[in-house]
Amino acid sequence: MPITLRALPCMSSPLLALSQLTKSFGGARALRGVNFELQAGEVHALLGENGAGKSTLIKIVTGAHQPDGGTITVAGQIVAGLTPAAAHALGIACIYQQPALFPDLTVAENIALRLEPGSALRRVDWPARRTRAHDLLARIGASIAPTAEVRTLSMPEQQLVEIACALGAGARIVIMDEPTASLTHKEQHLLYAVVRDLRAHGVGVIYISHRLEEIFMLADRVTVLRDGQSVGTHPVDGLTETALIRLMVGREMTQIYPPAESVPGETLLTVRDVGCAASGVKHVSFDVRAGEIFGLGGLVGAGRTELARVLFGLTPADSGEITLAGRRLTLRSPQEAIAHGIAYVPEDRRRHGVVLDLPIAHNVTMALHRHLFPTSWLRFGAERSLALEFIRDLAVKCAGPAAPVGSLSGGNQQKVSLARWLATKPRLLILDEPTQGVDVGAKGEIHRIIRRLAREGLAVILISSDLPEVLGMSDRIGVMAGGTLTAILPGHSDAPTVMAAALGSTEKGAA
Amino acid sequence: MNTAKRDWKALLTRHEMLLLYVLIAEWLFFYFAGTTTNRRGVVVGFGTMDRQFDILRHSCEIGLLALALTPVIITAGIDLSVGSLLGLCAILFGQLWHDGGLPIPVAAGLTLALGALAGGLNATLITALRLPPLIVTLGTYSLFRGLAEAITRGSITYTGFPETFLFVGQERWLGLPTQAWIFFVVALAVWLLVHRTTFGRTFRTIGLAPEGARYAGLPVERRLALVYVLAGLIAAIAAIIYTARLGQAKADAGTGYELFAITAVVLGGTSIFGGTGSVHGTLLGVAAIAVLKNGLACLPVVMGMNAAEEMSGLLTGALLLLALTASVLPKILANFRSRPHAPAP
Repeated sequence: MPITLRALPCMSSPLLALSQLTKSFGGARALRGVNFELQAGEVHALLGENGAGKSTLIKIVTGAHQPDGGTITVAGQIVAGLTPAAAHALGIACIYQQPALFPDLTVAENIALRLEPGSALRRVDWPARRTRAHDLLARIGASIAPTAEVRTLSMPEQQLVEIACALGAGARIVIMDEPTASLTHKEQHLLYAVVRDLRAHGVGVIYISHRLEEIFMLADRVTVLRDGQSVGTHPVDGLTETALIRLMVGREMTQIYPPAESVPGETLLTVRDVGCAASGVKHVSFDVRAGEIFGLGGLVGAGRTELARVLFGLTPADSGEITLAGRRLTLRSPQEAIAHGIAYVPEDRRRHGVVLDLPIAHNVTMALHRHLFPTSWLRFGAERSLALEFIRDLAVKCAGPAAPVGSLSGGNQQKVSLARWLATKPRLLILDEPTQGVDVGAKGEIHRIIRRLAREGLAVILISSDLPEVLGMSDRIGVMAGGTLTAILPGHSDAPTVMAAALGSTEKGAA
Repeated sequence: MNTAKRDWKALLTRHEMLLLYVLIAEWLFFYFAGTTTNRRGVVVGFGTMDRQFDILRHSCEIGLLALALTPVIITAGIDLSVGSLLGLCAILFGQLWHDGGLPIPVAAGLTLALGALAGGLNATLITALRLPPLIVTLGTYSLFRGLAEAITRGSITYTGFPETFLFVGQERWLGLPTQAWIFFVVALAVWLLVHRTTFGRTFRTIGLAPEGARYAGLPVERRLALVYVLAGLIAAIAAIIYTARLGQAKADAGTGYELFAITAVVLGGTSIFGGTGSVHGTLLGVAAIAVLKNGLACLPVVMGMNAAEEMSGLLTGALLLLALTASVLPKILANFRSRPHAPAP
């Protein structure tokens, strides 16, 4: 199917139109009347808090779920009973955050698997395969060898292969679900260029992202979902960030980042020349004071999570000194770190931060067994009241302490992960990407919680790839690159300064 | 307290209830079909108290192994060596008493320690060397049995145990077979461990998310080690009871028991992938298999065929597969209902 080469004027019949879509799962109404329209040659952002219905909407458009009511119109024709195969035939493609490619096959083979007919008995035309892969990749400006094994590609390169597949299949509608979530700064810009190129070729792009600056940079129009309903479609020109956030959360938010109000106290943590050969951390030195939020910026892979793992005893340091409140520590296991009052909210929430199949109450008390249950006997009453206390305190939206964490939205799962560590009453709290994949409303709540903790005298290390977050939240900012700390900057630094330090282009050690 | 109550309810409304119905149905069927009156007018077969006690007596060893395996499987592990360890411990016990001249209680105590030590070997290989439990215990499965055979050179059988010891395996105390009391005490202990302590909570967490457990600061290695050491200890208890019931210790004691025990645990609703499971489910699983096996032997038809053993194997397998199907059926049906009715255009 060839791609429409010219952007169509907005007045023609839309490429995709969803009208009054409804969908329920059991008793929960995921969609309660969604209207959405996508023109050819348009980048249309889809925004909404977690649980607003974005995922359900995508699953309906790609044929994975059937709507209970409403109509789907593709290029003027009403489509009923959409299946994944039918969606594919209609030119609908979805690029997920985690590319679904076969790691041990080459790029050309992966593309061929998607595009060639599924008959087992036929001759494979290898040169044609490679040529097609080469052409498709060239079209999106990707310099990836068709003969490379997918395993050897980086995450963004794999996403580019996915996009090439979509193009090859003649996709007219491309859905991108948080495509930049795991990309570095440079890779993000590569992806933006591809999105703009798709638009120029008349493809309709549905772009889902929590990063508002991306939406302002890329999108033509934006549709906001709230509680399973579309609350409006607006041209991006003329919208302000505040207006957009207000649409999403349905309430006025005066400012994105709460103001700093704590006065840092005495130095709590001292890290001197710490290294860990196994995880590539080397020669890291910094201090964190009680009541201070110490931001850790840098690109993905700069060694920030690795440093956190060293401080939490998961991969013990093999050189240097770590001192906490005047006591020199040897941190060989998380148990030791916890015993000294160090808490670590990990980056991978679903695998490390919470246990999805266990109730909220079990998750909250998990790091607290020794204190809450000193005799090893479970005290269900104490556990329940502690969980209830944190559910109230952090405003976790849930059915109750017995609800499995997997039943919560991303933001609420993150609050449970946070609650587990607050319950240990730590002195040093390390937060690793605490707002990744979290909707704007919950993000603001988490920021306010972090501020409150600092005010209460906690030393906080905040690792984040969201630069505005690091800038908006930190009292001081440490920037990492290549496993070491390259700069310590004051909290009121601007984004270019931090980015320059992260890229290692500024004069070393400038403070 | 509220949570505890709800835990109870949630547990009982799931797999365990279904299994209880199956057990009752089984029992009633054999009660009516397997009880007869012989020529002298005496009631024989399934419906007699003697037979019921017999079932209990014969369930204790496999039941103990199933109790040993429940925490192991909840951590997403497996221990194939418990049957072989039962054999090895029986031989060691016989040797300590007969050749070593030790009094029975001392020999028994030492045997328990050796069982725990053997479990410790599994634990060390699994936690310190991070080898997969399936392979490690497949190795010790052969190793323990091989040791038992080597010690006895395949021929020695220890017999002639004193009456006081045989009382444990062959007599009744307070109305029940003596070993049933031991079994109940172990069952209660394991139940409390799994359902009422932080240990059980940790087993479950390890089964669901071993990495997540580590990030939460839970002592993953030590808890894993505990379940395998405990399995060894309980296998040693089973070995002593086995010896007391048969009045002899042989190297082939408990051959194939590990598979019956795993069947009982899985039938009882413990997921082989770890994370979910209960001790009361395991007890029901043990009972369902024991009643089936013994009940079949009481059926006149089967007695004529002289094939009770084969029949029970066949039906146990069928029961396991049925239970597994029944446990996933609600999920499959739910998926099926949410599937589209309209075909593709």
